Amino acid sequence: MMSSSESEDKGPSRRPKDTKFKQQKLPAWQPIMTAGTVLPVFFAIGIAFVPLGVALLITADNVQEKIIPYTHCKPVAGTAASSHDTCAEYISNNTGATCQCHINFSLKEDFRGDVYMYYGLTNFYQNHRRYVKSRNDNQLRGVKQSKSTDDCDPFYMTENDTTRYYYAPCGAIANSMFNDTLKLNFVSHATLVSVGLLKKDIAWTTDRTIKFKNPEGKTLKEAFKGTIKPVNWQKAVYELDPDDDSNNGYQNEDLIVWMRTAALPNFRKLYRRVNHTEQFVEGLPKGNYTLLVDYNYPVVGFDGEKKMIPDDDILAGREEPVPWHRVLGRRQPLHTPGHHLPHRPHPSRQEVSLSSRFFTAT
Amino acid sequence: MLNSTAAPLKRSTVEKVINKQIFMLFLVLLVMSLISAIASEIWRKRTVNTHWYLFLKETNVASFGFNLLTFVILYNNLIPISLQVTLEMVKFAQAIFINWDLDMYYAPTDTPAMARTSNLNEELGQIKYIFSDKTGTLTRNEMEFKQCSIAGIRYEEELEESSMIAEMKKSNEQAKKIREFMVALSVCHTVVPERDEDNPTIITYQASSPDEQALVVGARKYGVMFHTRTPSHVVISVNDVDEKYEILNVIEFTSTRKRMSVVVRTPEGKLTLMVKGADSVICERLSPNQPIREVTMQHLEEFATLGLRTLCIATTDLSEATYSHWKEDYHQASTAIVDREKKVAAIAEKIEKNLTLLGATAIEDKLQDGVPESIDKLARAGIKIWVLTGDKQETAINIGFSSKLLKQGMEIVVLNTDSLDETREELKKQQQPKRDGATALVVDGQTLEYALSYDCRQDFITFAVECQAVICCRVSPLQKAELVELVKNHVKAITLAIGDGANDVGMIQAAHVGIGISGVEGLQAVCASDYAISQFRFLTKLLLVHGAWNYSRVTKLILYSFYKNICLYVIEFWFAVVSGWSGQIVFERWIIGLYNVIFTAAPPLALGLFDRHSTVKNLLQCPALYEVSQNSTLFNVQIFWLWIINAVYHSVILFWMPVCALSHDIAFKDGKVGDYLFLGNMVYTYVVITVCLKAGLETSAWTMLSHLSIWGSIASWFLFLAVYSHMWPTFDLAPVMVGMDKYVFGCFLFWMMLLLVPFAALIRDFAWAAAQRTLCKNMRQEVQELEKANLDPTTAVQNVSRKK
Repeated sequence: MMSSSESEDKGPSRRPKDTKFKQQKLPAWQPIMTAGTVLPVFFAIGIAFVPLGVALLITADNVQEKIIPYTHCKPVAGTAASSHDTCAEYISNNTGATCQCHINFSLKEDFRGDVYMYYGLTNFYQNHRRYVKSRNDNQLRGVKQSKSTDDCDPFYMTENDTTRYYYAPCGAIANSMFNDTLKLNFVSHATLVSVGLLKKDIAWTTDRTIKFKNPEGKTLKEAFKGTIKPVNWQKAVYELDPDDDSNNGYQNEDLIVWMRTAALPNFRKLYRRVNHTEQFVEGLPKGNYTLLVDYNYPVVGFDGEKKMIPDDDILAGREEPVPWHRVLGRRQPLHTPGHHLPHRPHPSRQEVSLSSRFFTAT
Repeated sequence: MLNSTAAPLKRSTVEKVINKQIFMLFLVLLVMSLISAIASEIWRKRTVNTHWYLFLKETNVASFGFNLLTFVILYNNLIPISLQVTLEMVKFAQAIFINWDLDMYYAPTDTPAMARTSNLNEELGQIKYIFSDKTGTLTRNEMEFKQCSIAGIRYEEELEESSMIAEMKKSNEQAKKIREFMVALSVCHTVVPERDEDNPTIITYQASSPDEQALVVGARKYGVMFHTRTPSHVVISVNDVDEKYEILNVIEFTSTRKRMSVVVRTPEGKLTLMVKGADSVICERLSPNQPIREVTMQHLEEFATLGLRTLCIATTDLSEATYSHWKEDYHQASTAIVDREKKVAAIAEKIEKNLTLLGATAIEDKLQDGVPESIDKLARAGIKIWVLTGDKQETAINIGFSSKLLKQGMEIVVLNTDSLDETREELKKQQQPKRDGATALVVDGQTLEYALSYDCRQDFITFAVECQAVICCRVSPLQKAELVELVKNHVKAITLAIGDGANDVGMIQAAHVGIGISGVEGLQAVCASDYAISQFRFLTKLLLVHGAWNYSRVTKLILYSFYKNICLYVIEFWFAVVSGWSGQIVFERWIIGLYNVIFTAAPPLALGLFDRHSTVKNLLQCPALYEVSQNSTLFNVQIFWLWIINAVYHSVILFWMPVCALSHDIAFKDGKVGDYLFLGNMVYTYVVITVCLKAGLETSAWTMLSHLSIWGSIASWFLFLAVYSHMWPTFDLAPVMVGMDKYVFGCFLFWMMLLLVPFAALIRDFAWAAAQRTLCKNMRQEVQELEKANLDPTTAVQNVSRKK
């Protein structure tokens, strides 16, 4: 090597190193895409997708779904609300009241396997930026009076003359929690059979185990001392499920489900699982059912607006062809501000849907 | 210093194109933000009274300006800031690859190539004009005294004892003339002798000009040895007898004077002026009645046709009176503060006249190794080569042939005129019908001056840029720079200047890319240059391989960086459509922040560093491949916007397909539903995969590192998702991410879409690539295929270019 003998004389040689990396000679695979090579690959992938498609078709066939809209359901005769045409109308005139309504429907097919019950809201923007961040995860984890609370404003706390009360849970998400109660009866040979509904294991397990914990306290009520229920709630957080301590307070699964904000303005959330252990072991048989609704959740406008707004669906449908963006906004008379309580006008429609799950392993 | 210009800041053409497009993209960003902000305002107006849960009425902060700002921030990465960082890193590494190239390392001087800037790596792939100095660039600048003509007799150097030495030993008139000639050679110069410390009889010469050195060495060969220089004396030994010449004045060589002279007092006490210089300037100053003039001119022509460099030697005796008078003037001029050079030249004129011609010298400057082959390759790569030299026209033409710059069958147009009118006439003639074959233009320095004057300039340049080769003889450094500027402005093509001496600095700085030859003539050229190589032949690898590669890599990197950012950030826009234009991000904030830092950082780096569209061998064997990058066929405004459109198209698929798939909400087997971030993480996964695979699609040569960058990036995202989902509540970080790993990875729909969505997005790109290659293959692709089939690509390339 000439250079090495030189380098002995003149100090280190500046000769570059002859490595594959430095000389840019790393071995390489050079794929060449022509019709001849790409078409067979497309073909192969196409074939590979065939079983996928078949699997999808089969599962899609197995999925059974029944949707029951109840936004404009009629109040049950003989209740306080029966003087009104619809429950929506009643609760918009009586803030905080409950309206009962029954809806009869029938299943044309057997719903085999596990059946899940969802509630669905359309045109409800749980993904709005201000809404999404309006929560406090530390509070929901049971940490009392955590420092970062700005996110919850204006649903963080309230002051009367001397005392401060913290909203529990704070924030807009919690404040707008869905609070209708839904029950299901099966009409079997003229007798009503109540369908058993399970209220647990409807939320993400990680949410139950990690994210939602009640604060420490002798009793649950004591643990929430110094807090106040969110403005739109009918009962306090420690009264969400008086029957089951493990499903009460922040650990209430309905709350947990609601707190996981949906991606799109038309969404559904898991409400109950049908109990298949004693009755309805095979699923829900075809036949007639009644949906019993305790209607609390305001989704249509009130305060006289209603009269000026004809049927939402028709108008909304005309205005906005994009299905998930049925905006309801029309020009409305200005409200006189001054109410501390927010007015609760409406997203357009509310529905409950029943649906058996997708991938039944029958 | 007279010829120097301020060093410019050079930026590559690609960079300039990009800057313009970034501005356009910024407008797009503003328009998108404006649309979003207006939509947001409308949405708010329509929902403020109805959507009670959004407490829009309670907090009235959302002003229009605030919204606009929100969206500008939301979409800001449409303009990839990461591009600048990636680009800098890549270019820096590319420059190091140039330095590392063993093929451009010159062992005899232990010099590797040196990239002195990393700005212009891709510019090397777009060169259309090369301006080359001759001496020291095409040639070795190792001068050898070959022949001479003394008193009308031509002497050639022979291997054995030469006829001249034999003649010198005689004592006739000719011997005296030879002696006088040799003494002039060994006295009239500025060379400094250096004695070896160990052995004082060995003398080496240090000279600023290799010509002078060659002449001194030459004289020594014939018995006249220059061995000592004191501030006032030069001592030479003639046939071992020392003679002491007192040096009274030295009037130095300048490129305008084209000669140097000394005034000496000979040992006999006579005052003599000795001059050596270019034949044109010496001839003008000869005293009338020079019997050997004609025959010497004849010899000079003969030397020039052999490609030798010629100098004339002349002397004149001075009277004491003239000298003492002149001395005063000269002293004044040489101590002048302003315009010293000009004044000295004027004073020198007074004494450099009535010369007696002694003879002429011929010095050989050999071509460097591989110059003809290199010039041939560069010409075949569609590069036009201009040689700018100070030599005589004949010498230049001869060198032109021996370096294959001029070929048999080429039409050679020689412009050699004496006046502006004549020049104009000649140029008018050249405007006549186009010739078929290649044309070469040879133009003389004097003519060039006329041709570059205002009213001929346009005609000249229009004709010259069409010529395959141009040789400009006897040009001054300033003219060199002027020519480069002229071509640069006239044809809007990328120019390269290569030279080795201080007189090339002007053109090196003027050209888009300046190359310095790190050779014998000092460091000025290298210091002014952008790239330094030590041999002209390395230029082929620098341009045809590094230039073509770097261009292809940098353009791919740029297009890709824009693509990947737009792909992700337009999704924010789609999400705004369904989230009430609220500015909510569908991804977690750190995840989106790390997009350019981790998850898609490596693929553009790998593209920019390791992609090779053709092998070194093919690039050098088929110089025509260079035209792909030279003509910007793979990177221009149109292609840039096609990529952007493609990115938007991908974002549509990447967002709306998962949205449709999740429209039932029920994502899990146990009937549970996801949330917005579940959708976000799903979409994000598909974005990362699609974008990484797109990088793979653009990669022509998958090295180990390309594999690592693509698959590693995808893996890094999966790993990150798994780890990041467990941060909270241990760290006060990302509560929204809790459980994401379990539910995303546990979702059958997610895996099914994982196969489907990236494929759906990329199927167009695949099909397009395949169709393009099948239907209208370009030369690069042809060569790639032949290479794969182990066939010789050269013939195919010729066929392709013939078809054109």
